[in-house]
Amino acid sequence: MAKLSRRAIATYVAEQLTSKTDSKQVILQLAAFLVDTRRTKELSLIVRDIQFYLSEAGSVSGVVTTATELTAETKKAIEKYIKEQTGATTVALDSLIDPSVIGGVKVSIPGRELDATVSRSLTVLRTRFKKA
Amino acid sequence: MNFINYFAETATTPEASGGLFDALGIKPELLILQIVAFLILVFLLGKFVYPWLMKQVDERQVAIEAAAKAATEAQASAAESQERVTELLDQARAEAAGIVDTAKLEASQMLSASEERARSTAEKIAAEAQANVEKSIENAKRELHNETLELIALATEKIIHTKLDKKTDAALIASALKESK
Repeated sequence: MAKLSRRAIATYVAEQLTSKTDSKQVILQLAAFLVDTRRTKELSLIVRDIQFYLSEAGSVSGVVTTATELTAETKKAIEKYIKEQTGATTVALDSLIDPSVIGGVKVSIPGRELDATVSRSLTVLRTRFKKA
Repeated sequence: MNFINYFAETATTPEASGGLFDALGIKPELLILQIVAFLILVFLLGKFVYPWLMKQVDERQVAIEAAAKAATEAQASAAESQERVTELLDQARAEAAGIVDTAKLEASQMLSASEERARSTAEKIAAEAQANVEKSIENAKRELHNETLELIALATEKIIHTKLDKKTDAALIASALKESK
């Protein structure tokens, strides 16, 4: 059997997820396929591709990293921001608490990233204004 | 015998009044013979000895004149040689003076060149030292700047860590989202 390309797998899974198919069933199929074909190492790349195709289809998923726990109001504001920027109809965000960012927010969605954290600002301060 | 007495006795004798030649002991025939012999001698001398003698004298005179001429020429030659020597000495002195002048000029030029090189080297060393000092100052300024920057970042980090609460963080996020639109 010819080896399926990562793109073909991601496209198939994205189509299945956007259709009314049970998403849990689709994910299980994907996992089984990767285990069977011994391609589990490609999982993260395939997930990234799936997210990319889903975002093109109007369903954006991403990760929001903050120093403190997001309030509901802030989360809504972020979702609204993503919709405005990408034209997505649905936004699914995973929250990640990372005290090292100090403050602000880092939004990672397929194809783009917004890093408005204090740690990044300080890194910029350290690097951009540093004299060599 | 006393000669004075002898002559006095003979002057008073009768033979003295007989003739002067007898008184003097001169015999005329012997005198004539002596004159003839003398003339023959003069003739022989004039014929054979005198010409030879004159020839020898002439030759000697010629030799003396030649020697004198040679001496004069030698003297002239010596004078000329002396003049030549003097001229050569003057020329040698002039050349020596020229060489000394040239040596002095070259020494002066070498001294000037050495001074110029020394001055140039000194200026170069001073310029390098100045450049090093400026570079050190610039490095110190840069290090101070970077350390200040690092201190500011660390201080900001500490302050924000202690001061940032959920409300402030939410406001910060809202502001960031607004700015990035």
